[in-house]
Amino acid sequence: MRRTASSACIALLCVVASWTCAFGLPPVQRTVLDNGLVLLVSEEHSLPFVTINLMVKTGAKDDPPFGAGQAGLTASSVLLGAAGRTLKQINEELDFMGANMSASANKDYTTVSLRVLKKDFERAFPIFMDVVTKPTFPADEVKKEISRTLAAIQSSEDRPGRVADRAFEKALYLGGPYGHPTEGTVESVSKLTREAIREFHGLHYCPDNAILSVVGDIDQRSIDGYMVPRLKKWPKGSTPEKRIEIKFSTRKETIKINKPVTQSNIVIGNGGMSRDNPDYYAAQVMNYILGAGSLTSRLMEDIRNRRGLAYSVASTFEARKYPGPFMVFLQTKNRSATEAIKATMENLERMRSELVSEKELEDAKKYLVGNFPQRFSTQSRIASFFAQVEYYGLGLDYPEKYPSLINGVTREDVLRVARAYIHPDESVTVVVANLKEAGLE
Amino acid sequence: MTNTSTAPTIKDTVSLMGVVVKRLLLLVCLGAAGVLFLISPAGAALADHVSEVTLANGLKVILLENHKAPLVTFQVWYRVGSRDEESGKTGLSHMLEHMMFKGTAKVGPEEFSRIIAQNGGDDNAFTSTDFTAYFENMSADRVKIPIGLESDRMRGLLLREEDFKTERSVVMEERRMRTEDSPKAVLSEQLAAIAFQIQPYHWPVIGWMQDIARYTVGDLKKHYKTYYVPANAFIVLAGDFKKEAVLPMIEEAFGSTPAGTAPVQWQDKEEPQLGERRIVVRKEAQLASIEKAYHVPNLKEPDSYVLEVIAALLSAGESSRLNQTLVRDKQLALSVSADNELVSRDPNLFSVSADVLPGKTADVVEKALLAEIKLLQEAPVGDRELEKAKNQLEAGFTFAQDSIFAQAMLIATYEIASSWRDADTYVPAIRAVSPADVKRVAQKYLVPENCVTARLDPIPSAEQKPVEPGSPGKENIVR
Repeated sequence: MRRTASSACIALLCVVASWTCAFGLPPVQRTVLDNGLVLLVSEEHSLPFVTINLMVKTGAKDDPPFGAGQAGLTASSVLLGAAGRTLKQINEELDFMGANMSASANKDYTTVSLRVLKKDFERAFPIFMDVVTKPTFPADEVKKEISRTLAAIQSSEDRPGRVADRAFEKALYLGGPYGHPTEGTVESVSKLTREAIREFHGLHYCPDNAILSVVGDIDQRSIDGYMVPRLKKWPKGSTPEKRIEIKFSTRKETIKINKPVTQSNIVIGNGGMSRDNPDYYAAQVMNYILGAGSLTSRLMEDIRNRRGLAYSVASTFEARKYPGPFMVFLQTKNRSATEAIKATMENLERMRSELVSEKELEDAKKYLVGNFPQRFSTQSRIASFFAQVEYYGLGLDYPEKYPSLINGVTREDVLRVARAYIHPDESVTVVVANLKEAGLE
Repeated sequence: MTNTSTAPTIKDTVSLMGVVVKRLLLLVCLGAAGVLFLISPAGAALADHVSEVTLANGLKVILLENHKAPLVTFQVWYRVGSRDEESGKTGLSHMLEHMMFKGTAKVGPEEFSRIIAQNGGDDNAFTSTDFTAYFENMSADRVKIPIGLESDRMRGLLLREEDFKTERSVVMEERRMRTEDSPKAVLSEQLAAIAFQIQPYHWPVIGWMQDIARYTVGDLKKHYKTYYVPANAFIVLAGDFKKEAVLPMIEEAFGSTPAGTAPVQWQDKEEPQLGERRIVVRKEAQLASIEKAYHVPNLKEPDSYVLEVIAALLSAGESSRLNQTLVRDKQLALSVSADNELVSRDPNLFSVSADVLPGKTADVVEKALLAEIKLLQEAPVGDRELEKAKNQLEAGFTFAQDSIFAQAMLIATYEIASSWRDADTYVPAIRAVSPADVKRVAQKYLVPENCVTARLDPIPSAEQKPVEPGSPGKENIVR
């Protein structure tokens, strides 16, 4: 079953860059293969296992019109059968090794990952490659996958936070693929077909549209001698270049959804920024002060610590390939919904109207810079970190540059980005609550 | 994965985006072992890499050096959880955990977390049935900071009335979020409440809402004074440090704290059930759900490891029995799981559960679950299938050693339940399980008179609107 091992020569190349870092961050080596695949390798031998993370640059952003859920279903369906193996054979073989393989999509990209003991690596890797490059999408299994997806979508209605998120994105984006949920809707998923999945896979799952990170107990010899020859057999594709137009709602509105719950789940936000926006770092500092600094942010301080209205309240910029939302989310008992919304709005206004203090700015910088190494706490976090660095074009020296990107932010920058990217007057508010108890009927 | 673990509940921060330390984390941790050296039957044992020092005041310090990255996790574990509470004051341990962030004479409210954050660290805490734990994940060069702060709040907590009043509201919001508005969480809470009539596992870690509303600062002060003493706590430090350098810092910070008296930890155990117990929860929900739990021994008895293997046979991986039969072949369930509470201070539960697909009934799913249990009792498991389950458990144990945080959690949860040295028992004990053991243990414990069944019957809600997968899962830790 395994592909024959060729001892072949490896002129890997186009570019080999390697970087070992300053603060004990993990080293990484970057190689671009002839077929366009970017290979990122970070060796770490303290534990006898390997994590492989293939990022395919397709996600819900590439769902066709009326095909919401296409990227998500394609991801879960690659695991249903591949090359000569049935679903059952794949699962039996991987489970026997105690290996874990998974595939899922988000708005921007798809991740297929494998975690396996070093001793089983050469048994598991061919399965991984077949799943990615030669999935068979067996009709009966795809049909089952679709009905499971539909049930999962229905089940998620029991999560009021998720219901609020979906309503928020739908209202915020005036059309376009970021406005629909990655998993699709009951209506859209019911109409997805095996043929559409095959076609989507053929178009997007190509080496020149993908980034492979390999982290853990693997050495250069095994990469050059074993992995690369197999990776090179993956034929280059022709994924079409596609740009997405993002249009945000700028009309202030409140969407109320009635549910028999004890807490109102609230999302407030507006159109935000893309990951490549030069203001990204200033916005990170600003957002830390506003609502990302766990127990110590302004929102937490006011809404949780002072008023006791919520267990959790936070704000975030979902900076994606294309502009994502800025959003605040919280939960509070139904009858405090109005007070919590008002308090949130006041904090947003304050962020826009006055300079943050020197101390707030310094604390934010110290945390953001000092906490950076925590991003490397596990193999899978390292793998996904390097994949994202590559995907968003941040450069392999990103960890070295990061402190200066953050430390260069001034109080004036913070105020400027607050004014530029937080718009209470153009915001969408979603409240999922027992509306009667919340006084919002 | 299968699992282990006692039931915790979590404190803090944490957002929808899910930073909450959930059961999953704990499970994984417990399934994990040791360290950057594997615990294999033939290889190095945890005991060879962990060292233990006890200060003069009885405070145990457990140290695990791991130099792969310049990071440390510093953790203080108190041997107190909901099992130490009394009826009418349930959730008190968790409430106290929240109050531990409200300041001492030296450190103002929320100042603790602010100082940790200024130093680039992350801190949080969690409470379970069996323990209350506090942690700081820091750069290695900042290790002294959490040492100083933790020693300060071990003895100097202020517990101010006004802070308590506000924080009580926060905990009520937490309970609404975790439990009231999650049909599955309500189901699990109800199940525990009828499974345990004598043991304090009867009540939820976060406490009943009425109790949260009832207790006073006086109750908290008493709880703090009784349980937050060196004789009832231990420290775990894992990561990039040198023992010779760090021990004097710990000694200096904690050494002068009066030892206190270790409280009596004995709890009466359940009497055997006189017959199957069943409950129905009727609540607004999308899907029906069923959970069947059986009283089982914890890691102190060898059968508990056989139950680990049984849980793996049933639900570890896509090819496991419940996944293959209920999810794939018969298409009865959206998801299934089998859990074994191995690393638990008192005997706990083994459970199987399923979320029922639309158009199917809980009755049919229950019959299918029972058929799988019957199969375990009647037909010997094949060698290859048994080997597969063991491989999965062992690999899972290895994978879960990924972070120093998880390594520290593993050590600590074993230390709470019995001794951190028992983590070394895990892999050999799993490897020793035979097909005959599986059959015998299934016949002994997975029987109707030892079973508690809880069913969620959905009441359709007035407005239906569709839309992602994943269930809230059982919340065992509360932050």
